[in-house]
Amino acid sequence: MDPLESIKATFFQECDELLTDAEQGLLALEAGDTDPETINAVFRAVHSVKGGAGAFGLEDLIRFAHVFETVMDMLRSGEMHLTDDVAKTLLRASDVLADHVEAARTGGKVDEARSAPILAELQALAGHEGLDDDGDGGLDGGEIDFTPLTLSIEEDAAPLAPPVPEIPTAQVWEVYFRPRAEMYAKANDTALVLRELARLGKAEVVLDQSDLPTLDHLAAEHAYLSWTIRLETEADEASIREVFEFVEDDCDLTIAREGEEPAQAAPADDFDLAALLAKAHAAPSEPEAPAAVVEPPPAAAAEVDVAALIARAQEAAPIIEAAKPAEPPRAATPAAAAPPPAAAAAAAPAAPPTATIRVDLDRVDRLINAVGELVIQQAMLSQRVLESGLARSSDVALGLEDLELLTREIQDSVMAIRAQPVKSVFQRMPRLVREVADMVGKRVRLVMEGENTEVDKTVIERLSDPITHMLRNAIDHGLETPDERQEAGKGAEGTVKLAALHRGGRIVIEVSDDGKGINRKRVRGIAVNKGLIAEDAVLTDEEIDNLIFLPGFSTAETISDISGRGVGMDVVKRSIQALGGRISISSEPGKGSKFTMSLPLTLAVLDGMVLSASEQTLVAPLSNIVESLTPRSEDVHFIGGQDAVIRIRDTFVPLIDVGVSLGFRDAPIDPASGVAILVESEGGGKAALVVEAIQGQRQVVIKSLEANYQQVPGVAAATILGDGRVALILDVDSLVSNSRRKGGRPEKRMAAA
Amino acid sequence: MTEAVLMGAGTRRELIAFRIGDQEFCVDIMSVREIRGWTTATPLPRSPAFVKGVINLRGAVLPIVDLGARLGLATSEPTARHVIMVVKIGERTVGLLVDAVSDIINLTDDAVQPTPDVACDTVRMFVKGLFALDGRMISLISLDHVLPETEAEAA
Repeated sequence: MDPLESIKATFFQECDELLTDAEQGLLALEAGDTDPETINAVFRAVHSVKGGAGAFGLEDLIRFAHVFETVMDMLRSGEMHLTDDVAKTLLRASDVLADHVEAARTGGKVDEARSAPILAELQALAGHEGLDDDGDGGLDGGEIDFTPLTLSIEEDAAPLAPPVPEIPTAQVWEVYFRPRAEMYAKANDTALVLRELARLGKAEVVLDQSDLPTLDHLAAEHAYLSWTIRLETEADEASIREVFEFVEDDCDLTIAREGEEPAQAAPADDFDLAALLAKAHAAPSEPEAPAAVVEPPPAAAAEVDVAALIARAQEAAPIIEAAKPAEPPRAATPAAAAPPPAAAAAAAPAAPPTATIRVDLDRVDRLINAVGELVIQQAMLSQRVLESGLARSSDVALGLEDLELLTREIQDSVMAIRAQPVKSVFQRMPRLVREVADMVGKRVRLVMEGENTEVDKTVIERLSDPITHMLRNAIDHGLETPDERQEAGKGAEGTVKLAALHRGGRIVIEVSDDGKGINRKRVRGIAVNKGLIAEDAVLTDEEIDNLIFLPGFSTAETISDISGRGVGMDVVKRSIQALGGRISISSEPGKGSKFTMSLPLTLAVLDGMVLSASEQTLVAPLSNIVESLTPRSEDVHFIGGQDAVIRIRDTFVPLIDVGVSLGFRDAPIDPASGVAILVESEGGGKAALVVEAIQGQRQVVIKSLEANYQQVPGVAAATILGDGRVALILDVDSLVSNSRRKGGRPEKRMAAA
Repeated sequence: MTEAVLMGAGTRRELIAFRIGDQEFCVDIMSVREIRGWTTATPLPRSPAFVKGVINLRGAVLPIVDLGARLGLATSEPTARHVIMVVKIGERTVGLLVDAVSDIINLTDDAVQPTPDVACDTVRMFVKGLFALDGRMISLISLDHVLPETEAEAA
């Protein structure tokens, strides 16, 4: 990859983290957190996004981030007071900022209709509050609505900071700039700073290289150069200082009007770590380094690997505890312990190495596949050894047992590598909730729990849609409007809770609301009207609640944009079942409802029932199986010539002969001679699969058929069993729907059960 | 193993020759990943007759194509004496069931004659050309169309 591209990719990765930080900070502020450090954290995050964007010349992003930053800065300095409205505006601004980042990443454009009003609101906040220092911060919605008149999208990124009482005439400034080695170590380039400075006005730059030693005394990582810039500009001192914002703490900087006594402006940061290190290392350990330096020293220094530098810092600090990798660099640089926010933001790229690495997902996948093979090979080997008649207590058998333990351990550890906290999905949800709540005019508070619950990446990627849908449903259908809530004696703001937890080797996601709960009478009425259940069907409360998962069911009286197209919950259920999961609902009238979905922790393995049919070994996903039974001949009935149904507790479900269905044989076996497995497919359709025998329940590794061949109807994937043979995993949904195409609508009968 | 080196202009290439029934064929050696003995395959439902099923190749699910059946030759049930040539076709790895692998042949492109018009369409789809070697006729097989067409997948 092009080095710039890869740096850019890193920038965007960081942006994601920064945006999340910002959003979380803002949420905390909205919730009433008044800790200045929270405001600072948001400021830093926005600032870092802006800084990075500046390096890549992402103009739109810079412009937006700049205004955002200005507002945050005013909050930070106490010029503006944080009110609920301000917090809400800022939250929406963070959404738009995320849009800008996304647009910059994809090279697209941000929807101006979305971005411009927010930008205007921010500018209004900045402008209005900046001038009006009565300090009550009481911006009501009306004022915000009118302020777009002041909007100028093309407005320059020049600071919107409160005007400094200074006549903007050209003045001559004398700037002395001496970078320290840290500045280069953080990959800052003097040339960029100087170029930026030259934009302010006419600049005469004089390089002082008098400190430059001869080549044999030169330490590669030291900084020797300094510059004096004579700048003729209308800008004030603050603007000039802003140019040095990112490097301020890593250089000696004085800015003075020509003829004035220069004031020492650089922070008192005497602990020049890199310089010390350079001294310590250059002489004894790098004899060839000077010879290798052909570029001017700053350039060479700029290439210094930050990580290497920090690694050395760790070596140099004997107080390090290995268990706290984040701590040592701080200990080694006391000056950084309480940095001003801007400095901290500038220092972010050089943050101490955390105990994580970024690895290409492909590599992890390869490793997981290889370990999958290892498990299979190990199982085969064990089986062969047993077959060969060796005693269980023999050395070989014992060794194999150890090997088995070890392989399990490796498998678990490897799966843990790919496991990720559900945070990555959860963190997108606050925004969704805000948008949906705005659309339907409800006030919603989202509470999230268990964000750090880990689950395999393959599952994570597919969690987003069902969660999105369930949340929308909870806000749209579950919660009442503020008025209704107050009538019911609840607070105007509804609460939606999103929680993740591990339970019994599966991940459970719960979405609950404190709304009105399911109106069972209405649900029942609709189900009868739509012919989903018989009018006189006797259903338990729970059964009624679960009617909403039937295809074609929708309780919304008005069809809204958000949900209620009548494809709602059955789609959710189907997509969850496709992942081998289940979903259920419990509800208490007046108090709210709770959706619970449980999913396997990984899609790489599957719990399956191993079956035999037509001399083939097949695997049925356990998540589809309801029960298994031995059919009695008197329960088997025929509808017409071929189509058999079986009576299971007063319900007739179609019988599907798996061997025939897959084309392995022409005539079905006598159901009574085999085993029937009652399965539930998408949308709740039930059928009984007839096979010769059940071999047992096993966890199998899922192998794709498409990788080397193509999709096969009736087969979801393949797996490899302990004997080394390939076994096919049944696609229960397609088996059932194939049979349904000629048969009736089994779900009608299901609901009447 | 006899190694026939044919002189002449054109690109030199190495080919693996194999036998199905009493006919000889060959494919480019670069597409062949490995050669292994026949193991029982797991049949795939609703697949063409020439797809024998899938086997486990060190964890990968490998479809087995009976090349004889694909070419329209008479075939018999595979035995332990049959051979699977594991070949790479595009991104896919496929096992070709053949009777035996006989030779490695070195030759240049210009030794290959175009397939005569007599051949039927099926054969012309797979046979890129012919060449003579020690009085035998060997057909050069193109692997592009060996797998069944994948309209079903796209649909």
